[in-house]
Amino acid sequence: MPTKIDRRSFLKVLGLGGAGAALAGCDRPSYATLEEGEEQVFSYLAPEEYVVPGIGVWYASTCLQCPAGCGVHGRVREGRALKLEGNPDTALNKGKLCQMGQAALQTHYNPDRITKPRIGDQEVTWPEALAHIQSKSGGATAWLTGAISGHQAVLLDTHLHARDGGGKHYAVETVNAQAWQAACADTIGDARPELHIDKANSVLSFGADFLGTWISPVKFMADYGAFRSAPRGVLTVIEPAMTLSGANADHWVAARPGSEAAVALGVAYTLASEYGVSTSALPSGAADAIANMTPDRVMELSGVEAQTLSKIAATLMSNSPSLVIGDGRYETAAAAMALNMMLGNIGATITPGVDLVPADLAMRNGSTKALADFAADALAGRIDSVFITGANPAFTASGGLKIKDALANIPLKIGVSMFEDETTQLCDVVLPLASPLEDWGTHVPSSGAGRGEIHVQQPLMEKLHPETLGLGDILLGLAQDAGADGLADFEDYYGYLRTAVSALIGTDQETAWQAVLQAGKVQAPSGERAFTANGALNIQIADTQAPSAGQLTLITTARQGLYDGRHANLPWLQEAPDQISKAVWDSWAEIHPKTAAGLGLKDGDYITITSSAGAITTRVFLYKGVHPDAIAVPMGRGHTHYGRYATGIGVNPLSVLDGTQDVRTGEFLATASVRVQATGDNRHLVRLMDVDQQYGRKLAVTISADQHRRNQTNNQGSA
Amino acid sequence: MPSLLGNIFKGWTDYSKGVEEGGHHEYEHMYAMVIDLDLCTGCNACSTACYAENNLAVVGEDKFGARQAMHWMRIERYFDEPDLDKTEATTDADTQSRGASFLPMMCQHCNAAPCEPVCPVGATYHTVDGLNAQVYNRCIGSRYCANNCPFRVRYFNFYDNAESWPAPMDQQLNPDLSVRSKGVMEKCSMCLQRTRAARDTAKREGRELKDGDIQTACQQTCPTSAILFGDLLDEDSAISKVWKNHQVKLGTYKQDKENPELRGYRIFEELNVDTKVLYLERVREV
Repeated sequence: MPTKIDRRSFLKVLGLGGAGAALAGCDRPSYATLEEGEEQVFSYLAPEEYVVPGIGVWYASTCLQCPAGCGVHGRVREGRALKLEGNPDTALNKGKLCQMGQAALQTHYNPDRITKPRIGDQEVTWPEALAHIQSKSGGATAWLTGAISGHQAVLLDTHLHARDGGGKHYAVETVNAQAWQAACADTIGDARPELHIDKANSVLSFGADFLGTWISPVKFMADYGAFRSAPRGVLTVIEPAMTLSGANADHWVAARPGSEAAVALGVAYTLASEYGVSTSALPSGAADAIANMTPDRVMELSGVEAQTLSKIAATLMSNSPSLVIGDGRYETAAAAMALNMMLGNIGATITPGVDLVPADLAMRNGSTKALADFAADALAGRIDSVFITGANPAFTASGGLKIKDALANIPLKIGVSMFEDETTQLCDVVLPLASPLEDWGTHVPSSGAGRGEIHVQQPLMEKLHPETLGLGDILLGLAQDAGADGLADFEDYYGYLRTAVSALIGTDQETAWQAVLQAGKVQAPSGERAFTANGALNIQIADTQAPSAGQLTLITTARQGLYDGRHANLPWLQEAPDQISKAVWDSWAEIHPKTAAGLGLKDGDYITITSSAGAITTRVFLYKGVHPDAIAVPMGRGHTHYGRYATGIGVNPLSVLDGTQDVRTGEFLATASVRVQATGDNRHLVRLMDVDQQYGRKLAVTISADQHRRNQTNNQGSA
Repeated sequence: MPSLLGNIFKGWTDYSKGVEEGGHHEYEHMYAMVIDLDLCTGCNACSTACYAENNLAVVGEDKFGARQAMHWMRIERYFDEPDLDKTEATTDADTQSRGASFLPMMCQHCNAAPCEPVCPVGATYHTVDGLNAQVYNRCIGSRYCANNCPFRVRYFNFYDNAESWPAPMDQQLNPDLSVRSKGVMEKCSMCLQRTRAARDTAKREGRELKDGDIQTACQQTCPTSAILFGDLLDEDSAISKVWKNHQVKLGTYKQDKENPELRGYRIFEELNVDTKVLYLERVREV
């Protein structure tokens, strides 16, 4: 784009006549206007006094790319946010950040952001949109959000309570730890205990991808760094398809989908029979379930051999303290907790969490059960209007849940979103949301490692799109319109937040507020929880048998990266090769080479995966990190409306789930029985590397732990 | 700035000296790296941080498939089953029972870099910081360097990548370094701009540069702290200690360790390119 440089603009660039830019149409030369004082000589950019051109300034804020809520530092130069780093002052992520956090910049600068409110297809002004909402939103209202915490959650409750028609809040997260939390609540009376991977000498995971997407992956990865240094901890992972955690395991065991609980009980049985570990202190029901789970039965249900169970038991016994985690189905998590109780990990690697004293700030945990409840309420006509933000139910809903019918049954749907997606397509009114880097907020991290530390989110820069509004401001405006008490004085969310945080720290001095912003966190008063023993545990073991001929079990897996699909519009993450398959820009189905041979499939063949809820067609990726009875498709792609980088790329495996719910938690199970059929097409799956062997070259070398232990004084010990 | 021919001759001289007298260098600093493969989880945080820090272009599926991606840092993943114990009975050849091996791979900043002497215009050379630098304005795109790189870590701009940053994405670009145009080779610079900034800061504050002042983007974000960066000429730096502890010496194509069991190793050492990235072996229980 060549621009004509004339003398005048040239002088301007040289720093002459910056203020003279306002003197439009003045053709007199700069030296004349300068002499007469109409212009001054100073930088073309007239920055604020604390901005030095060319020098980056760092502001503390909070990452909202997933519910973990890590603290970040954002680098700002000349008024633009350029780079995010972890905030080293937080107890949670200690200066570290994952790829999703790094890519938050692209969420903010995304070219497909919504910039203006719209009603139907018509762009309107904010007053018009709000008036429309006001006139139509009688009756029962609802908020459908992702996991939400802090003062935004307080305002959301305030808004719902202030309405005459009442209202309900549904927090929806596809990737969650509901089963684990339910099991923890049932066994130790604390749904969110603190996990200490760094203090454990062995970790046994049943499908809980703590290095990838589980609860607070950056914290767990930082802990994992300590876990692997002297003495080196041993990681064992048992799951049907390899996760990032499984890919880093010392010992990875493939279990038939749904049979993880059986394997966990089998390990407990082996501990009791081979090492005499007592099961008497377990809640009633657990001991019986363990006693019934003989190694033969485990083999029958999961395909895991008795000697594997012995090996796992030996690892746990000789590397104490251990930590056992599990998620997916309730019984898996419950069996994992039973193992923790047998091994004496309660109080050692699992300690009580803390309760915030301002309890209303606590995280509203997201679940898929909430989406099922929402759909049921909507279909029954119990919802007259709904605000949807931070969730994309039309995309993430299990195929068996008729979410579109449910949404169609709500007279007024308001999408509060940064992007047009599958859900905003179905909304009557869409309000443009400011990005997390332009907004204020407080967030309670999903892991309580900070013992009451609440992370503060502050804008890193001016809004890119002047007509967008932050979630807090929208909530405050709605609550004020609904006539909520005590909010009339606040002009904007900033004012509200400032007052609320001042109340939290007990002073409203400017210096104290600045200190909070500088630290990016505020220490809220918190109370230590205590574990309570529980009487009974109900572990129902599913009868998982090998699928019948022509059938496989589909597993939808989550990956750090595209996550549940919310990050599919970020090109950095689309182009970041998947950790396992190394594929980019497309979906794939992971299948065991033996199974593929049985179906006559080779790498890159297209297959159609058909369940009772629907069908998807994608390519196969063959490798041995998936159980022969399973076919795994990572979620995240397959968007139909999500901007230029996501639309029409890949498939959405969630759409073929049949909507079966876990009995105890009501969560949608991430598995479905499917038929697989080759379409006859084949195209090379684009990925980082087509070889997966080193052919004897010394690239990534592995040594035995025994050799490592002999020389463990030589740990890297990097800071 | 020496003349073009002078630069080329100097490159040749340095290279041949580096080969003949192992470890030869006339550096003020010798920046190097350690990557602990036992801590690396293969999560991609480093490579994404590199995209953000170094203005790397996103190319899309087709160009990626044509090996035209611009990731200065890539995480290679191997499914080799290491032969740790031949007597192991439970090793089931049908499962990936020891997970995957991840290998972060970026420019190794060789002391005797094979990319340097082949450049017809001296566009790649060694700085006094011991880093292998690429002068974008000098590069004419012969691609000899990429051809001669045993690690395949030089990336060529086959296209003008302007469409990688549709407005307002261009506002994210890091102003501390350029956006490369079509016909230019680029590669990991070990975040040279951060080195410069740290040096300026130290100067402004009237102190010497100290170990830990400079963090590369990949090191700073790595959730498990698997990456360490520092000056090998500084005897007391953390990185010098790791190299010493692992008894790895520069300027040789064959390590002669007192304790050959130590984990440190350099990739393709036998090529005598004298890389400055030390990898620590991945560890697995038998």
